[in-house]
Amino acid sequence: MHDTEMQQDRTGIVRKILRFLSGMPFSFALLVIILAACAAGSIIPQGKTLSYYFDAYGATKGGLLIGLKLNDVFHSAWFLLLAGLLCLNLILCSISRFGKVLAAFRKTKHFGLWGSWLTHLGLLLLIVSFAAGQFLAKEEVVYGIAGSTQPLGRTGLMLTIDSFNVSLRDDYTVEQYTAGLTVTDKEGRTVSGEASVNHPLDAFGYSFYQDSMGWASWVDIFKDGQLVKTDLICAGEYTGPDELPALALFFNKFYPDFGLDENGYFTSKTPLPNNPYCLYGIYYEGSLISMNITEPGAPIDVHGYSFVMRDPTEYTLIVARTDPAAPAAAASAAILIAGLVLAFYVRPWEEKRRKENGSAADKD
Amino acid sequence: MDQLLTKTENISFMAALVAYLVTAAAYFFYAVAKKEWARKAAYGLMCLAFGLQTVSIVVRGFHAGRLPLTNQYEFANAFAWGIALCFLIFVRKYKFDVLGTFIAPVIFLIIGYASMQSREIHELMPALQSSWLGFHVSMAIIGYGAFGVAFGVALAFLIRDTFPGSLAGIPNNETLDRIIYRAVALGFLFLTLCMVTGAIWAKKAWGTYWNWDPKETWSLITWLIYAIFLHLRLRKGMTGRKAAIFAVAGFLCVIFTYVGVNTLIAGLHSYK
Repeated sequence: MHDTEMQQDRTGIVRKILRFLSGMPFSFALLVIILAACAAGSIIPQGKTLSYYFDAYGATKGGLLIGLKLNDVFHSAWFLLLAGLLCLNLILCSISRFGKVLAAFRKTKHFGLWGSWLTHLGLLLLIVSFAAGQFLAKEEVVYGIAGSTQPLGRTGLMLTIDSFNVSLRDDYTVEQYTAGLTVTDKEGRTVSGEASVNHPLDAFGYSFYQDSMGWASWVDIFKDGQLVKTDLICAGEYTGPDELPALALFFNKFYPDFGLDENGYFTSKTPLPNNPYCLYGIYYEGSLISMNITEPGAPIDVHGYSFVMRDPTEYTLIVARTDPAAPAAAASAAILIAGLVLAFYVRPWEEKRRKENGSAADKD
Repeated sequence: MDQLLTKTENISFMAALVAYLVTAAAYFFYAVAKKEWARKAAYGLMCLAFGLQTVSIVVRGFHAGRLPLTNQYEFANAFAWGIALCFLIFVRKYKFDVLGTFIAPVIFLIIGYASMQSREIHELMPALQSSWLGFHVSMAIIGYGAFGVAFGVALAFLIRDTFPGSLAGIPNNETLDRIIYRAVALGFLFLTLCMVTGAIWAKKAWGTYWNWDPKETWSLITWLIYAIFLHLRLRKGMTGRKAAIFAVAGFLCVIFTYVGVNTLIAGLHSYK
């Protein structure tokens, strides 16, 4: 008897909890908190270095932001917990309403009755698909100049950049970035094609996106007139002699058509390599010891070494992505939209039709 | 030919701007004087302004050789056009002309904002060269337009609710409430379609369909606000003043999503 009462109490508590979790007040509370979190995540810069927040907001506020993970809201544990609770709320809500909706549908045959239920189901599946995508999606980034071949991360695929072309209009604005690619798998099978912005190349389950581009330069390093190293570096990268690792040349920026702007700052008059110059820095033991611009082919002499930057060329950055959950997300969105259409538009039509039928029946 | 098209676009746009201003004044006069001829005149002016604006958009599209929906000027112009279109549909359906007293100034402000933006026609950057652009932005225009109508009706509701006896001749509170709901429901559906088409496009362009870009995030915030509105209305029976306040708040969020995010927060949508 005592055990039965306890069991009933427990069942009562579980029911209360489930009712609370599937209830409207809980949904509203969640939606409002998620809404506030989204607002915070859009206003506070996300994913910057920790020092950025201390500099921008001061020690106390910066520390608080970082402590609360407001610097990375959408990946924080508390935001994921909120999304999880919303899913739980949607699941419980969908389960508890399914029977009622089905019963009402059996009675009235109104498809519009499913609208709200399908909307909730679509939203639930969409969140789940998105979350699954965060775990299942794979991304690899490679960059290189035309003619280069490199492994695509851990995919086992090899990517050859056959060509890269930036088509310019007469006013030098970019019309399109197009990379000719060949993807080779472990068995030696190949897929070739072009990837341009908005038109990825699909191969071996991955989509290859033309993401961005920049300038690279070959660098010859001489010691006592002898070539000791040749390297290809992109703007933002370093190179140096292997025998003296403390010495490095940093390729800061490339000006294809060098000139000065109205304020006297370096600029490129056009994107065409009509008057190419490289901005570089020389580092020794981690300290910047000189910084200047140089024409391709001109030697930069330092510590007995001579650096020659030559043959500047455009490189392309290709991103390969696969998201097995994306089709599920698309299907979920379709369910969501179908639900909204049923909820807002089919039901009134059915009611109207029912009324009309009713009046016709009355007349009969 | 180019000059002729530019001139036609500029003249029709400026004429539409002026026509919307006169329309706003005419609707205000109608709200105060309640003369039938004033209603007809205001409605006629609204149709004229809408027609002129349509001409400016079509000519620009023809001139640019693409859908004119890609920069601040073009979208603001289309945004105002979308509100005007929804307004005309709702007025026809509900015979509720006084709504123009609240909608026409909003349209004028938005087209006025458009007039302050550069009207130069630029070729599209590669990311915008997609057939999804038309679907995505069209959905936004209709959605935002419907939310604009809900905003106008909500203002009418709140003014009459605050100052009983004012704005005589407008439908009763129940009808206003129903119009707000219908407009929000339409806007919500199209906002959802806007977000979904945007996600499909983002997948094509960047490889990920959701990037938590500020524009995406604020669209989601707007969506959540209206989702709460619809829940409260459909499940908790929220009507009247509270519903009207929600509709106003939602539209302020729409405006921020459009203007504020583009200008104040840098992101993938900050195309300059």
